Amino acid sequence: MFYHIALEHDVLLHPRYFGPQLLDTVKQKLYREVEGTCTGKYGFVIAVTHIDNIGCGLILPGQGFVVYTVKYKAIVFRPFKGEVLEAVVTQLNKVGMFAEIGPLSCFISHHSIPSELQFCPNTSPPCYKSKEENIAIQPEDTIRLKIVGTRVDASGIFAIGTLMDDYLGLIH
Amino acid sequence: MSENDSGSDHEENRRYRDRSHSSSRSHSPCGSEAEENNQEDEVADGQEPEEENGNSDDEYDEEDDRPSKKKKKNERFGGFIIDEADVDDEIEEDDDWEDGAGEYGIVANEIDELGPTAREIEGRRRGTNLWDTQDEEEIEEYLRNRYADSSTTIKQFGDAGDELSDEIMQQTLLPGVKDPNLWMVKCRIGDEKNTAILLMRKFIAYQFTDDPLKIKSIVSPEGVKGYIYVESYKQTHVKSAIENVSSLKYGFWKQQMVPIKEMTDVLKVVKVQTSLKSKQWVRLKKGLYKDDIAQIDYVDLAQNQVHLKLLPRIDYTRLRGALRVSIDPEALKRKKKRRVSAKPFDLEAIKAIGGEVTSDGDFLIFEGNRYSHKGFLYKNFYINAIMTEGVKPTLLELEKFEDVPEGLDIELTLSNKDTLANSQILCSGDNVEVCAGELMNLQGKVLSTDGDTVLIMPKHENLNTPLEFMFNELRKYFKQGDHVKVVGGRYEGDTGLIVRVEQNRVVLFSDVTMHELEVLPRDLQLCTDTASGVDSLGQFQWGDLVQIDPQNVGVIVRIEREKMQILNMAGKLVEAKPQSLNKKKEHRNTIGIDGLGSSIQRNEIVKVIDGPHTGLHGVIKHLYRHFAFLYSRLMTDNGGIFVCRLRHIALAGNSKNRQTKITTQDGFSSPQSMSPWRSTFGQLGVGIGKETFVGTGGRFGGVQRDIGLIGQTIRIIVGPYKGDVGIVKDATECTARVELHSSCQTISVDRRNITIVLQKTKDGRLTSSYSRTPVNALTTPGYREGSLPPVQGSITPNYEVGNRTPNFGSTTPSHDGSKTPTHAWDPASGYTFTRVTDEDLEYPLGSDTSFGQSPSTLYGSSVHSYSPYQELTPSGCNSTSSYINTPSPIDTDSPRSLQFYPASSPIADGHLKDKISKS
Repeated sequence: MFYHIALEHDVLLHPRYFGPQLLDTVKQKLYREVEGTCTGKYGFVIAVTHIDNIGCGLILPGQGFVVYTVKYKAIVFRPFKGEVLEAVVTQLNKVGMFAEIGPLSCFISHHSIPSELQFCPNTSPPCYKSKEENIAIQPEDTIRLKIVGTRVDASGIFAIGTLMDDYLGLIH
Repeated sequence: MSENDSGSDHEENRRYRDRSHSSSRSHSPCGSEAEENNQEDEVADGQEPEEENGNSDDEYDEEDDRPSKKKKKNERFGGFIIDEADVDDEIEEDDDWEDGAGEYGIVANEIDELGPTAREIEGRRRGTNLWDTQDEEEIEEYLRNRYADSSTTIKQFGDAGDELSDEIMQQTLLPGVKDPNLWMVKCRIGDEKNTAILLMRKFIAYQFTDDPLKIKSIVSPEGVKGYIYVESYKQTHVKSAIENVSSLKYGFWKQQMVPIKEMTDVLKVVKVQTSLKSKQWVRLKKGLYKDDIAQIDYVDLAQNQVHLKLLPRIDYTRLRGALRVSIDPEALKRKKKRRVSAKPFDLEAIKAIGGEVTSDGDFLIFEGNRYSHKGFLYKNFYINAIMTEGVKPTLLELEKFEDVPEGLDIELTLSNKDTLANSQILCSGDNVEVCAGELMNLQGKVLSTDGDTVLIMPKHENLNTPLEFMFNELRKYFKQGDHVKVVGGRYEGDTGLIVRVEQNRVVLFSDVTMHELEVLPRDLQLCTDTASGVDSLGQFQWGDLVQIDPQNVGVIVRIEREKMQILNMAGKLVEAKPQSLNKKKEHRNTIGIDGLGSSIQRNEIVKVIDGPHTGLHGVIKHLYRHFAFLYSRLMTDNGGIFVCRLRHIALAGNSKNRQTKITTQDGFSSPQSMSPWRSTFGQLGVGIGKETFVGTGGRFGGVQRDIGLIGQTIRIIVGPYKGDVGIVKDATECTARVELHSSCQTISVDRRNITIVLQKTKDGRLTSSYSRTPVNALTTPGYREGSLPPVQGSITPNYEVGNRTPNFGSTTPSHDGSKTPTHAWDPASGYTFTRVTDEDLEYPLGSDTSFGQSPSTLYGSSVHSYSPYQELTPSGCNSTSSYINTPSPIDTDSPRSLQFYPASSPIADGHLKDKISKS
């Protein structure tokens, strides 16, 4: 699920940048440091939309670096258990398939793939297809899946999904 | 129903009595007119049923104020009172006087008169009028009001019904002194039920004789051994009943009366705790098989027997059947003393001695005993003939049983573990499911454990209080998607996400290795902390390079409890025990050559251009001879590790430049750039064939050692070793000692016969000097790059692929010449993708251009200007920098992954180059 939330980040700035464009640098650095990161709590920071406030710079004694506490708003993507999402299949093997939902990688075990879809290792690229061959999931295909579990680490989120539900599977 | 009907009639009558009174009061004192009045009322009622509905509530409200007796009456019969009949509130209020008057008396008088009216009311009650005059919704509303009320039952059966709790009801059923007694009669063990049935038949048979049995019942509770209960008024009745019943002959003389208080206990159902389970090992106490080990096949508690599987002791020396000869009793006696050895049933041997064997399904029958095809005897034994406590089969005994592929031992160990380790396994916070008893399948969460009992909070809307269960009544319960840790079994310590849950089997997807594991639910525990997995075992870690045997190395791709799986150089998985492995020492700076001739190192990103993994990108984890172990996130097998030949991989990015670098470097050595105290220097001093290096420090006397060449990877271009690649271990002006990559030997080679394939870049940092002497300034680029300030011109084209040409131009050697090449342009690794760390991304291009340029007059260029505080750079050595010692907090920022920064963009390019130069 996507959220637009207010967040905070400390930017450390080298004294070299103390000049007319100091705040620009701070912003640049914020974007650079924040966008694309992932925290367990808020998920993936997709984009900083607005910088609310750049606090006063605090010079670190003995170093000359300056810390700016920046308050900003960002769009974050946080996957949840039970959420239905669309994903792009990246890889298939007999154990299951891997899909990506933007920055989130998701594994769908073959246990969670409807049994009518069988893994065909001999086709190129390998795919999961049904007996009638009317459905075939290949890499780069878009599928709809439901997240059944997430593993949240300090620096990343990993999900496992399922296709065993109504309206899940290949999107034509 | 009959009761209800009469009740309702009764009530209706009462109502009509009320009404008749009121009407008689208001209209006419004459009782005979009552009927007419009622009829009139009814008509009116029929026309306004809705109104009455509304009134009914009011009516009850008003009644609240009345004496409790009245209220009770109303409530009790409320379900049968036709509210519609109560037309007139005033009238209702008026009949207070009635409470005092004997209700029944009046009712009795009026019943006859009101009879027909009641019938009519009944008809109306069926709702014809209602259905006619109201639409569906109203009817629904009406019915809802009427019947949805949960207190209807109370109204019908009165408050007392509620108060008469189960307990009291039960009390009335308890036996008292007037009831017959129970007599406990001794019975032959195992025959309790048969005896009870026998007595029943006897009772039936005698039923219509002159002398019927005067007993009331026979009770033979399940699980009570050796006794049955007979219910009768007198002991003599019991005696007469059990007379001549053989199984009760022991009990004939003495019957014990069960005290009245204890009579209920006789029939109390006690859950039988069977200590005997099938597959359990037992020993026999007596008989031919005394002390023999046996395994329980099944338990027959009712018969007090167990069906055992054991090795038969058959005397194969004694002749049977037709061959039988009479043996004199003496010999038999002697023979009996000798114990026949236990061995599997041998059909051939039996036939040889004339025994007759018949078959019954899967079993062979010989002398009344059943033998399986495996040669085991299956026989019933009485429970008291076996020892169950503390039976541990010896290894020898186990072996005898083991040839039966039933996985007995596995199950056995499991069941043992179940009982022993349960208390440790179940802990608070676990989700459990009740697997035995009435509350089977109830789910809950463990609150606490205490000895054998577990307190759980059930997950059920109607159960809000914690419940207590025994350990063995609970089993762990997991859902798909749970993140769990394995706490037992061969995968102990692994963590993963559950992808499938089955009875007694859970499939989980390991966090570390991306394998699917099958685990028993009891070996799992919910794991809230993040993925850890098993990534180390003793000195070994996941991903380590280990020596399998002198010729082979491999990478640990999976660690289990006792063993490890190793991906060897051939790309095959081998299993090994940690003891048999040696950790392979690796030099940090091992260098290989990729398929395009570029040098590659660990942690660099390469692309597979040939071989089985073509197309994959990966990070070099290990280099060994001409193999590289790569890691790719996209690789699902072996946790993402795969092996490639070096010539099948290419450094990611443009390799053309790299080659030009190599060519340009030749012969640009300058004494100035050499630092005597560096053990290995870049390849500056190592031009092909012609360069000679002389340590400037003058530390070396006599034969000068060419330390510039030491550590370089060279290829032999002439002679029998032509084409071989090796590392220079030692070198003089004319010869070099080369340790060959391919074969494990070191040879001396003429300097003219070798060519440098790549140079060492990592070692030999300048570390000592903070001064900005020109010497040091110049050395810095030198060892990194081989590009010296004098050759800048030749290198310039390289820079142009980056975006920094202007910066470069602005840099002059005099002005910190050292820094510029150091950081910004490292041709040797200029296009190498290495791990991009935080600091590389720290300053985007934007900053480069926006403010990088302006301070460039001060710093030479934006690029190198921030080099000093890049802590990760081993180049504390950038001696010119005044910031060298500044700890850089920036590097502690959270790492970001590469994927968000397209490598192809100039930004990344530039930064990557920086990075490379740092490494």
